[in-house]
Amino acid sequence: MSASISQFRSQADSAINDLPLQEAIDTATGNFWRGREGALEELPDSEGLRDHFKAIRSATLAQLDEHLESFESNAKAAGTHVHWAEDAAEACRIVIDIGKTRGVTLATKGKSMASEEIHLGVALEEAGIESVETDLGEWIIQLAGDPPFHIIAPAIHKRRDEIVTLIENASGESLQSAEIEDLVAASRRLLRSRFLSAGMGITGGNILVSETGSLVLVENEGNGRFVSASPPVHIALVGLEKVVPTWDDAAVWLQLLARSSTGQPLSVYTNVVTGPRKVDDEDGPEEVHIILLDNGRSQLLGGKYEEILQCIRCGACLNICPVYREVGGHTYRSPYSGPIGAVITPLLMGLEEYPALPQASSLCGACRDVCPARIDLPRMLVELRNDEVEQGLVPWSVRRAEEAAAWMLMDVDRYRRLTGLMRTAQLPVLKDGDLRMPSFLDPSKGRKLKGLAPRPFREIWQSELEGGDG
Amino acid sequence: MSEKTVALFVSCLVDQISPEIGVATVRLLRRAGCQVDFPDAQTCCGQPFFNSGLRNQARDLARRTIEIFEPYDAVVLPSGSCSSMVAAEYVHLFEDDPDWEARAEALGAKTFELSRFLVRQGWAPPGSDAAPTVTYHDSCHANRLLGLGGEARQLLESAGCRVVEMVESDRCCGFGGLFSIKMPEVANAMTREKLRQAVDIEVDVLVSIDPGCLMQMEGLVDPDGPRVRHLACLLEELG
Amino acid sequence: MGDREAILERLRGASRPAERLSPWLTRRTFENPVDRFCECLTNLKGDVRRAESAEAAWTIVDNLLDEMDAHSVVINQEPPVDGMDTVARWPERTCYVVGESEGDLKAFCADCDVGLTGVSAALVETGSLIVESGEGRSRLATLLPPVHIAMVRVSRLTTDLFTWTAGRGDHIPTNVTVISGPSKTADIEFTLTLGAHGPKRLIAVVYEDGEMDS
Repeated sequence: MSASISQFRSQADSAINDLPLQEAIDTATGNFWRGREGALEELPDSEGLRDHFKAIRSATLAQLDEHLESFESNAKAAGTHVHWAEDAAEACRIVIDIGKTRGVTLATKGKSMASEEIHLGVALEEAGIESVETDLGEWIIQLAGDPPFHIIAPAIHKRRDEIVTLIENASGESLQSAEIEDLVAASRRLLRSRFLSAGMGITGGNILVSETGSLVLVENEGNGRFVSASPPVHIALVGLEKVVPTWDDAAVWLQLLARSSTGQPLSVYTNVVTGPRKVDDEDGPEEVHIILLDNGRSQLLGGKYEEILQCIRCGACLNICPVYREVGGHTYRSPYSGPIGAVITPLLMGLEEYPALPQASSLCGACRDVCPARIDLPRMLVELRNDEVEQGLVPWSVRRAEEAAAWMLMDVDRYRRLTGLMRTAQLPVLKDGDLRMPSFLDPSKGRKLKGLAPRPFREIWQSELEGGDG
Repeated sequence: MSEKTVALFVSCLVDQISPEIGVATVRLLRRAGCQVDFPDAQTCCGQPFFNSGLRNQARDLARRTIEIFEPYDAVVLPSGSCSSMVAAEYVHLFEDDPDWEARAEALGAKTFELSRFLVRQGWAPPGSDAAPTVTYHDSCHANRLLGLGGEARQLLESAGCRVVEMVESDRCCGFGGLFSIKMPEVANAMTREKLRQAVDIEVDVLVSIDPGCLMQMEGLVDPDGPRVRHLACLLEELG
Repeated sequence: MGDREAILERLRGASRPAERLSPWLTRRTFENPVDRFCECLTNLKGDVRRAESAEAAWTIVDNLLDEMDAHSVVINQEPPVDGMDTVARWPERTCYVVGESEGDLKAFCADCDVGLTGVSAALVETGSLIVESGEGRSRLATLLPPVHIAMVRVSRLTTDLFTWTAGRGDHIPTNVTVISGPSKTADIEFTLTLGAHGPKRLIAVVYEDGEMDS
């Protein structure tokens, strides 16, 4: 995938003009950000907690090698197989190999952004392993063949009637009623047999706890627990930046995750997995595999973009972002959308493929305000724009125009002379102080653009204000 | 109030497109007991280039601006965004150049956005019977980088205005400098949302301290909707 | 192992000294922790029943099972629900006592009406229940049945995640689950619906047990 400026603009334009979609986005993001505000206000010293969390994330990334090695050795001691995957292809290969070795034909999946990132679903299908998404939202978009619309609410763009058709087509049964409760009940019924017959379960992972080699999975529906507890094999695909040294650190993370995300104090299920079932255990998988996914992350460590690895995928930045709230998730043409997507997508998948994303921001800074790890996303958007300039990814005409403007502004006489010329040049298109251009030339697409004033301030100053009471 | 000489940095936008904001600023500063100087060599603080990733150009303009304004005791701008560039971002441009970093920091410390400067001067406008009902747009950089917003509301209330809040006073108006030209469809949608929130609370005037935001909102405001005004212009008009 | 070494080499290249942090300590004190716990779990759509004594608590369970006409119950063998004579108490119901009963546990859990368990701890701040895996404890028993009844002795309450992790011993169960309300989803038109893939009803029977547990 890729996103050029023109692709972004045209997809944004369709989203902006899709009124039901706008309403759906407003409902979801509005509920999320209001929920977040309330959930953090309810905490004593939430600002101090965020500072502490930032310190945990920074300190852990500074010694990521040690924390991951210690995670690996503790996880192995608990019986978990730990794999390291350099890139998407390697991660997919590991999953498929495990599946083939165990003769798996059906895998159930919990919601995982990392699996979206590496397009695991496609790889499994090509390898002849059926994979079924079990988070309701993920299942809906899998049935629809859509990418996720939001990091934590992937199907908010789908209307109820569309969902009815999707589930009817998938199940071959006709749904008597389109009430949401009935749809949820139908998904429970239809997916339950898949849960019980799957040969392996695949999940993501929210946190890795180094001191015990544990995997923390957070979710609301119970599907993640099902996927990780019922099949004989559980594979978790986790970005290698998700590690913390201790349970205390994990507790800080958990205290902020759901509150920042949906406004819940905690998600319904916080599921901590430490290895496969032991002799005494009554149930649980026989094998647990954790795949530590690099896919570009380690390259960011120690550089100007390291801070982005502190992200915990809570989605708070999407919910507050005035751009995301107009253009929605698909416009970013990446599984990661919103401010975090605008930064992480070009970093993991190539700036040359996604030159529009760093430009898709007014740099308002609302994302930085709400980020539980206080990631300075606007700073990184500006850095990426700088990279675009240096790598020659900015269109030639734009680059030249901006350079010319800077050249003019570097000398006040030049500035005076050239703005004087513009004042004359604009006259043919000036009407009542506004520039009136034919629509195909209109750079502001319908917004009135003021022309240069008849006299600049500096002239008024000289003739009327300087030294006097004007 | 002791008489104080301040350098006025109007910003290129006010100089070329909205000079009335500069005029109102001069009058307010004089009413607050200041001597105003306008260093004629000034052009642009460099923010558009900084935001576009043209860091060298931004640095050149920053150095130029520092040289022009550093002789003064205080610099006042009628723009929250340009103030934040000088007061909060300049230092980051010179992280590898201690000499310029120090000069940037020194200038930043004496650079003030107009409403903050007036409040710090202890000046307050007299109450007016003609004062309208207003709402205040918390422009992004002023609010998030400089913590501004309280000052403008205080001045408006002192002038007799009733200040009513929008649902999200701090939601971006869509301007974002060149963003409004590079992604106009998105910028315009953001502006319409902002204006919708102002219309919902039925105020007479939507006030901002940022010429850029004002230009953006004026470009789409409904003729029947609230008037969009710079704080300085509104205060000056109320007398 | 090629990937492992290549990745670790890059990570080592970026490694540098880091701040040593002390654990975050709880900022909470609750005047009435039991009330707070019950209130929070109720806010999470949990069904909270309070009892003065263990005996009264069991009467509540009897009545609940009658009300919902529960034919089959899976019971985790853990305090305080272990060692029950289920046949004597509920002769009309089929009970599967985990670790004791014969038969396919998963199949029973998938078809039964109720899962009955204790909790290893409960968090006052958030109204959460903590269950662990181990001998006699099925993780599917708290997930697959449409109703989960948890017996919560007030001595098991701890302030929040921070006091819980601080008080955690060295033993790490294979699975620990913090449960904060019944299973739910809002994935369709942002409408909250209970009982997605886990229990639609989460009932906590909260009672004083006379034990003191700091």
